[in-house]
Amino acid sequence: MTTSGPLLYVRSRTVPRTVAALAATAALAVWAAHELDAYLDPDRRVPVIALAPLFAAAVIGTSLYTASEELDRTAVRPWWRRRLVHLLTLTALAAALLPWAVLGHASFFGPSAMIRNTLGCTGLTAAAAALLGARLSWLPVFGYVSAVYLGASALRGNSVPLWAWLVQPAAERGAWVVALVAFGVGGVLYVLRGARAEGARD
Amino acid sequence: MPTIRVTDLHVRHRKTVALDSLDVDFGPGVHGLLGPNGAGKTSLIRVLATVAEPNSGRVEILGEDTGEHRRRSAVRRRLGYLPQEFGYYPGFTVREFVAYVAWLKDMPAAETPAAVERAVARVGLGDRIDAKVRTLSGGMVRRVGIAQAIVNDPRVLLLDEPTAGLDPEQRVEFRELLRELGASATVIVSTHLVEDVAAACTEVTLIDAGRVAYRGTPESLAALGETAAGVVGDNPIERGYTAALRAHRGPESAAPTAHPLEGAAR
Repeated sequence: MTTSGPLLYVRSRTVPRTVAALAATAALAVWAAHELDAYLDPDRRVPVIALAPLFAAAVIGTSLYTASEELDRTAVRPWWRRRLVHLLTLTALAAALLPWAVLGHASFFGPSAMIRNTLGCTGLTAAAAALLGARLSWLPVFGYVSAVYLGASALRGNSVPLWAWLVQPAAERGAWVVALVAFGVGGVLYVLRGARAEGARD
Repeated sequence: MPTIRVTDLHVRHRKTVALDSLDVDFGPGVHGLLGPNGAGKTSLIRVLATVAEPNSGRVEILGEDTGEHRRRSAVRRRLGYLPQEFGYYPGFTVREFVAYVAWLKDMPAAETPAAVERAVARVGLGDRIDAKVRTLSGGMVRRVGIAQAIVNDPRVLLLDEPTAGLDPEQRVEFRELLRELGASATVIVSTHLVEDVAAACTEVTLIDAGRVAYRGTPESLAALGETAAGVVGDNPIERGYTAALRAHRGPESAAPTAHPLEGAAR
């Protein structure tokens, strides 16, 4: 039992559960990477590289939900700092945990590609939280990642690294640019606007 | 000296006008805000609570223009607000939820535990302070909402349908609390229950279609009901409510036998 404001904030956003879910996602990614015998063929890491950041981003996105949105709006202090710390802390944690699944082969589908995808997916989820609401924030990125992942083998053309950045090798600069822009835009949208209010109001 | 002054307030929700050139002020005491569904009561409360931006107009609370961001923080420290749906965190106890709102209000950490206990005791939940909010009945949850609204001893207290879900005994106790709070603060209570207004409010403001339809005391509204003919209602204040609404809406909505209304109907 506590009446400490910051601790209550952390609990209100289910941060402990989110951290546990991120750790579980990382453990699952480690298990999946080894089950796929990915060390024999780097391309077989693609499912892990694509799906683990998707799950982590979904977990982070749902933690942006606030049950007392109307009361939160009456806060004396501006929210942007808390939102920034919240998003950056969880993104950094995911970016630190997930690469353990794909250690080695750094120039192909290794840790740096995992970090890139974590940033990109989290940015998309943060943008969706600001525009659609936190509880459904995973849906657009889920659809996007699924479409890119399923269609990746048929992709051709110069623009592929830009919109299929998720399944590009780590050395592909265009993919990095897109992921960083997604993280920047999504992060700024969420930090400034907060998650979109959910539920009807008169 | 009014603590709240609203001037030429316009609020629109997409194509619907919620508040239309509203001019109104409120001083210390308990003010009942009455009106039909969609009249603009909640829109007015939300603008006063600084959670919604008006399209135009000016709102001054405790001498501060809430349109200015820096002034708004000063107002929020001295403001209490109970929304219709306030939402709560399932894992929180009553104590934790009220403490969370105290933190939002930037109350000093050292003062928070005592302030939380005092607020919870005032709504009669002292014995349930460490119960999870999700385990409480609807009426108790509503009282938790009232506790969070008064935790910072607000100078301005805005309550949107505070008695929804309270049983008759709890409503009587709540009216007593309102009278106590209204002795030192400006309390605005939006409600559909005219008997709450009659029992606990010092003034009443009737809103219809985004405009003030009537202002006066509960007694003057009841008197309007006594003199108006052809209006429905089980008691004088209900009949007064109906009569004031009809007077505001014009002759086409009035009963053919109704007398012309005098007084503060606008």
